[in-house]
Parts: sequence; structure tokens; C-alpha cells
Amino acid sequence: MLETHEKQLEELLAHPSVWRGRSRAAVETFSTGFAALDAGLPGGGWPRHGLVEILTPHLGVGELYLLLPVLAALSRLLPARWCTWVSPPHEPFAPALTAHGVALDRMLIVRTHLPLWAHEQALRSGACEVALAWLPRASPRAVRRLQLAAEQGRALGVLYRSQRFASEASPAMLRVLLEPTLVAGQHGARLHLLKSRGGSREPIDLTWAEPSA
Amino acid sequence: MRHRTRKLLFEPGDVSAAPSVLRVRPAPPPPTGPGPEDEVALDLEPRELWIAAHVPQLSLLALSAGSSAGPLVVLDEARNPRIVDADARAQAAGVRPGMMLAAAFATAPDIDARPRDAARELALMKRLAGTAAAFTPQVSIEPPDGLLLEIKPSIRLFGGLKELCRRLRDACLADAAFARSGVQPHFTLAPTALAALAAARGGARCFITDPRQLPARLKLLPVGVLRWPEEANARLLAMGVRTLGELLRLPRAGFARRFGPATLADLDRLLGRRADPRRRLTRRERYVGRLDLDHEIEDHDRILEALRPLLDELAQFLRARQRGITALQCRFHHYRAAPTTCALRLAAPEADAARLQSLLRERLANLRFPEPVRRCELRGGAPTDRPLTSKSLWSAGERGHAPANEMPALIEHLRARLGADAVYGLRGVPEHRPENAQAVAEPALAPVVSTPRVGPGAGPDDGKTSTSLPFRRPLWLLHAPQELGSQRGRPRHGGPLQLLAGPERIESGWWDGADVQRDYYVASDTRGARFWIYRECMGARKWFLQGIFG
Repeated sequence: MLETHEKQLEELLAHPSVWRGRSRAAVETFSTGFAALDAGLPGGGWPRHGLVEILTPHLGVGELYLLLPVLAALSRLLPARWCTWVSPPHEPFAPALTAHGVALDRMLIVRTHLPLWAHEQALRSGACEVALAWLPRASPRAVRRLQLAAEQGRALGVLYRSQRFASEASPAMLRVLLEPTLVAGQHGARLHLLKSRGGSREPIDLTWAEPSA
Repeated sequence: MRHRTRKLLFEPGDVSAAPSVLRVRPAPPPPTGPGPEDEVALDLEPRELWIAAHVPQLSLLALSAGSSAGPLVVLDEARNPRIVDADARAQAAGVRPGMMLAAAFATAPDIDARPRDAARELALMKRLAGTAAAFTPQVSIEPPDGLLLEIKPSIRLFGGLKELCRRLRDACLADAAFARSGVQPHFTLAPTALAALAAARGGARCFITDPRQLPARLKLLPVGVLRWPEEANARLLAMGVRTLGELLRLPRAGFARRFGPATLADLDRLLGRRADPRRRLTRRERYVGRLDLDHEIEDHDRILEALRPLLDELAQFLRARQRGITALQCRFHHYRAAPTTCALRLAAPEADAARLQSLLRERLANLRFPEPVRRCELRGGAPTDRPLTSKSLWSAGERGHAPANEMPALIEHLRARLGADAVYGLRGVPEHRPENAQAVAEPALAPVVSTPRVGPGAGPDDGKTSTSLPFRRPLWLLHAPQELGSQRGRPRHGGPLQLLAGPERIESGWWDGADVQRDYYVASDTRGARFWIYRECMGARKWFLQGIFG
């Protein structure tokens, strides 16, 4: 009797619309390019569509290195969709991107005083595979809008925000905190998954790859 | 007689009603006259088929747009003006075309005499030609009142000759000028342009597809339909030649001697024995629409709503031509202030009213009107070919979906709101100076890449050189190098910077005035961020921050 009940319960919980904390959600993903990170993320990589928040203490901790393998792979898909950069803090340096294998002709840069609007348009349009945005501030409601837009446009939205917002609630699918590793001679970062549907609880150490000469 | 059995649109006139005078004269042997040489090998299929449309009383039609007080009479531009045309009321009063003005006034003192308006006549003909252009690209205007269309290649497309003629006629008669005045253009069909035109001018019913029937069909038309100079017509009349039939019987050599080879060439063209190429009417088509508002409006949404009919009209204009526009200008007129203009530039040709409206909405959001709007004007840019694509089976983002026009749409949308400069792509430039090593580029909207690129870094611009860089390059480049403080020769940025790699010397640009001599280092600060800094080799040897290793 108890067994049948348990079995029924199992069946019920196996329903795709039921999500249990720390259970691996069935999401479509692609590889991050870092084996350690792939192992730690639910589904084994970045979600194909949805919003990812990357929180950094300051610029230069590897926030771009983290995504470079993905950008390189996605910009070389056939047919490739676009990668939109909404109000980046500085100019992305073309020679470095090319050296990392990113196809420049799929990059679009948007300079705007309305980053939220532009990011939503880019995500919703269906034209972009990835849309990166640097937002000084975003309310949970705005983030929710971005999350919906990303799902609608089947794009990966990446939101770069300051570490200050780590304690705030966010509707983003995945929240990642990047911390620089202060080990001499090593260029890498430590990554904490603040929010994920079944990702690793342990911090993940990553080393940034340099393009081979 | 195939053409007889069909019940066709331009039914030929009843030939048996011809005056018997024309029949008594026996036909001369064909080779001697300008008439048809007995060509045995004339294929049944004509090489060309021309439709001519003649607008009777064109000058009257052009002037009658406004209402006139009395019976309307149109004058030519001569010093002693003659009557060109008179409307029904004037004709009833006894005024006839060709009268001197003074005589006309004597006949009917209350006539409203106006000089002819060539510009409006031409505009009317051009409008008619525009309608006809939907049926064939080969349309030409025969000034002042004739229109010629070569329709042979279009017959199958429109489901047969009869259907084509019917639709052409309906389309032309739908023009407002004809609907208002009751005047209708006269259509004829013939294998040569001149024959069709002559028959149309003569008002004859003519629907011939076989060139061999031409002489028989044209013979009753008066010589005047050829519109030769008055002097030639007078001489022909003096010779007793009044109709084309009589004209075609004249001996060829003698005719050429008396009237000149050009006139003879005209007759050859009439019968299709000489090529008669016509210059196509190519129109520089732009859409211009105006709308006077009932009330003055200031509200953007209501203005957009009011613009919708114009946009629909524009979309229809473009759809009919299978074209799109890449520029659109909106002009809003006010009571006192200068008109406000708002220009829209599009990344790809567009012809959809809803899309244009949504772009205009973004554009208008940034626009402030000094005064309420009284009148809107919409001007489309030059129409360009718009590649028509099928709708995709997959929605955007699904595997298998080929991105088609989402990107142009996104770029337009962003640019409409943020301005054209705010949205751009990047391009690598083979240059050593970092600040010159990349340039802003127009996003490559070319159809999606289909050539597989081999290996990383084999990009279109600068792949090889960058890939093989022996030195590290930062992912972020500052817009302008930022001067760093220094302490005992060591750079500081927030705290002291630790040099990790370098120096790498970059020395370039002595030829263009932006000479640089720098030693580049990779440095890291106490928080773990990595910077790309340089020290000038010249002058004060200051430290600068130029890049950040994202």
C-alpha cells in the first residue's frame, strides 16, 4: 500500500511542470566551454533561453572571459544569430574578440540611455542569440520583463550587475557571482551560483584561457 | 477570320459600311506602292501587340477639374488663339474646335475661354500611364493625348488577351478624371504601335492581332490620324487622298520623292515593316501623401492614428510595385511655426504599414511639436527592390530557423528611438595603435553567412594577424586612455599596480601625425582586476590606462 502511494507520488513529482528545489530541471542548455562550470550548472551549461544575471564586484574580474567560449561558438553557428551588447561600460576591443574566435560580423553594439528598453527589444526580437546588458539599476519587475522577453525571443539574456544586488531577490533564471582569485600568476575567478535550478552549491574555480598564439 | 468570331473588347468597326468609293479603285500591284508587300512568310503570331489609348478632349479634361462658370472652351497658345476643344455646352451653343476666339465669342458670348494647361494634361497622362504600368513595363506616352502599351508578354500572366484588356480598361476608367467627366479613353489593339495609335485617334474600333489584316482595317481612317504636318495633309488632300487606304495605294518611290523618306518610314512602321521601338516611360516614383487634419492635434498617438491611412496608402503603393522604401520623411505643418520634420531611415526595404507605424511611434516619442499639427505630409524615399521571402516554418530561435529579417527589424526599431549612431557593429582594422585597431561598422545585414569559417579567428576582416598576436590584448578598450598617477615611477590606479607582463613596445603612426611610442604592460590591482596600461617613451613618461581584461 505504502509502496503504491510512493510510486504515485513519484509519478506526480516527475511531471515536468513540477520543480523541486535542487532537483535538476530539464532545460535546454549549451556548453559554457569550462568543464568545471558545465558540471556545476543545471543541465550542464548555460540555458539556451532565459535570463542569467552575472554579479561582479567591479569591472575586470573576467565577466567577459566567462562568456567568450559561448560567444565564439554561437557567433559561428550556421546560421548565426546575433549577439547584442547593450550599453557596455567600454568599447569591446575587436582584435581581442577576434583572437578569441568571436565573429565580429555578428556583434551589435547599442549605446543608449534606455538600456532596459533596448535589452528587452533585443531579447524579444528573435534576432539575437545572446544579448548582454550592463544596467546600473533594474527593479525585480524589470528583470522579470527581461526574463519573459528572453523566453519569447528564445535568446540568452545576460545581465551584468553590481555585487551590491546580490542580496536582492531576482526573477532571473540563474544568478552567478564572480569573484577574482587573488592568487599570483593565475588569471581566473571563483564563481558562486546564487540562484540556480539544481546547480552546484560549491563555488567553482575557473581559469581564463588565453588564445593560443 | 479568327478575330471576327470572338466577341472582343475592341471590336473592329463594321467594314461593310465603308463608302463604296473606296472599293471601285482597283488595288495596284503591291510591290510598287507603300502598301503591304506580299510577304508569304508572315507567321501567324505577331511579334508585338500594342494597345493604344487615346484620350479625347484631353485639354478639356485637364481643365475641367475645377468647376467653370460658363461653357468651357480651351484655347491654344498662338497669338491669335484658336479653339482647341469645347465642352458639350459650348458645342451646343455653336462653338467648334478650330474657330478663332473672336468668332467663338461672337457665337456664344458667355463662354469661359481658358488657355490649355500642358502640365496638367501631362500629369493626367502620366497618371494613366502609371495605371497601365501595372500590366506591362513597356508603356510610353504619345504626346499629348496618346498612350501606348506593348502587352504581348503579359497576356498569359493576366489570363488571356480578353481578360487583360478588360482589366486594363477597368483600371484606367477608375481614374477620377474619367469618372467625373464621363469622357472615356478609346482603346485599340494592333500588331504595330502606330496602327493602334492611328486607330485610337480615329475613334475606330480595332482589335487586330494579325499584321496581315492591318491594311484592310486601317484603310477607312482619315489621313489626319497620322498627325503629319498640316502642309503634308493639305497636299494629300489636294491629291485626293483622304484615307489611309488611299494613301497606301500610292507608288512608293514617288511618295518618297514628294513627301520625304521620313514620311514613308512612318507608313512602314504603321504596317510593321519597319521596327518601331518606343522609349519606355520610366518614372521616378516617390510616394507623397498629404493629409489635412480636421482639428489641430498635438497628441502623438492621435497623430499616428491620423497618419495610418497615409501609411496604408504608401504600403499599397509599394506592394503594387513589389518594392520597399528605406527612407521615409514625415512633415508636420503648424499654424505659425516652421514645419517639424521627422526622417526615418530603415536598414532594409520595408513596405508594411504596421511596421512603419511602429517605427514612427518610436521616432515621434523623441519629437516635440512647437504647436499643434494642422497638416501631415508623408514622403517616401526612392523605392528599392524588396526581396520577397516566404514565412519561416520555425519561429525565431528554433533550430532550423533561418534568421531573415528579424535583425533589420530590430536595428530599425532601436535606431528609430535612439538615433542611427547609437547602434553599430565592429570591424577590425590592421593597425598597431590600439585606438585605431578597430572601427565602427554598419551591421552586416547581408544574408546569413553560409560559408563555414575555418578555425577560430579566420574572420572576414583581420583574422590571421590578430590570432597570431604574441601578446595579450584586453577585451575592453577605454574610449580614451586615462592618465594614471604614479609613485616613484610605479603606476597607481586606486592602489599600486603590479606589473604582470611586458613591456611590449608599440611605436607607430609617425606618418600621420598621431605618433605613438609606448611600452605596454599587463598590470593587476589589489582587487584582482587586470589592466592594460602603457608608459609613454617620450616626454614626461606618464602612465596611462587603456584597456581592461574583462
